[in-house]
Amino acid sequence: MERRGLDFVALNQGNAQLTELYRTHIGDWPKFYKMDTLSKAGFVATELLLKKVGECRCSSEEFIRSRAIVLFGSTASLCADRNYQETIQDKDNYYPSPALFVYTLPNIVTGEIAIRNHWRGETSFYVLEEPDASQMAFHLACAFQDGDTESILAGWVDSRMNDDFQVFVTLVSREDAADTEWLAGQLQLMINNLNK
Amino acid sequence: MEELILKLKQEIIEVLNLEDIKPEDIDNDAPLFGEGLGLDSIDALELIVLMEKNYGIKLQDPAKGKEIFKSINVMADYIQKNRTR
Repeated sequence: MERRGLDFVALNQGNAQLTELYRTHIGDWPKFYKMDTLSKAGFVATELLLKKVGECRCSSEEFIRSRAIVLFGSTASLCADRNYQETIQDKDNYYPSPALFVYTLPNIVTGEIAIRNHWRGETSFYVLEEPDASQMAFHLACAFQDGDTESILAGWVDSRMNDDFQVFVTLVSREDAADTEWLAGQLQLMINNLNK
Repeated sequence: MEELILKLKQEIIEVLNLEDIKPEDIDNDAPLFGEGLGLDSIDALELIVLMEKNYGIKLQDPAKGKEIFKSINVMADYIQKNRTR
């Protein structure tokens, strides 16, 4: 019997579209408005994925401790870095923004998702030159080696400018990651969806 | 004072990205932190920056923010008495 493919959500619209998706499908997390584009993209895609697969947030202690988040991107927090730099560029108008500064690390997006869902497993953000299904599958398989991780919210999230982003997220089980070739094939299908 | 209060509310909404909140939704006497608008520590730092940038008030002791940011009325009163621009 052929193995069922992984569910995923892929988005690559403008930032206004993210706000529209938030208002239409989520709407109960005002912190969304304070996030940078990278976090907004990761947050909204994750919310839509969890709705799609019907996963509820009322999970057991064991579950929330074993759910990891592993994301990949190519420009890390470059977009947030630029926004922050604008607040310190001019010495006569030098007002560093704390709210922009807190997003000048790419792994903040993993924290935003973890806080929303109360997940307490490992979180990491890898910077790759470009989406690479084999490398991503390898790192995901490695993440299960800690003995605690049982499932991973995984994906690609990248934002070059405020209205320019690409994201896909999926859920990977230990069994999925054990067959890295199959997992790489699934991730490649998702990568192919990034530009559609 | 009324004009300053309205301007202050508009500035807070903009700088803290309170997208779904209008000036009239903010009670002049309600606490800005905790129950009121539910602001956090990063928001407090942004308010300190706002006071310096827009009103020329430099808080030497950030701990004072706790008293100054008690409510819109308290904040506006402090700004009116200490502003340099």
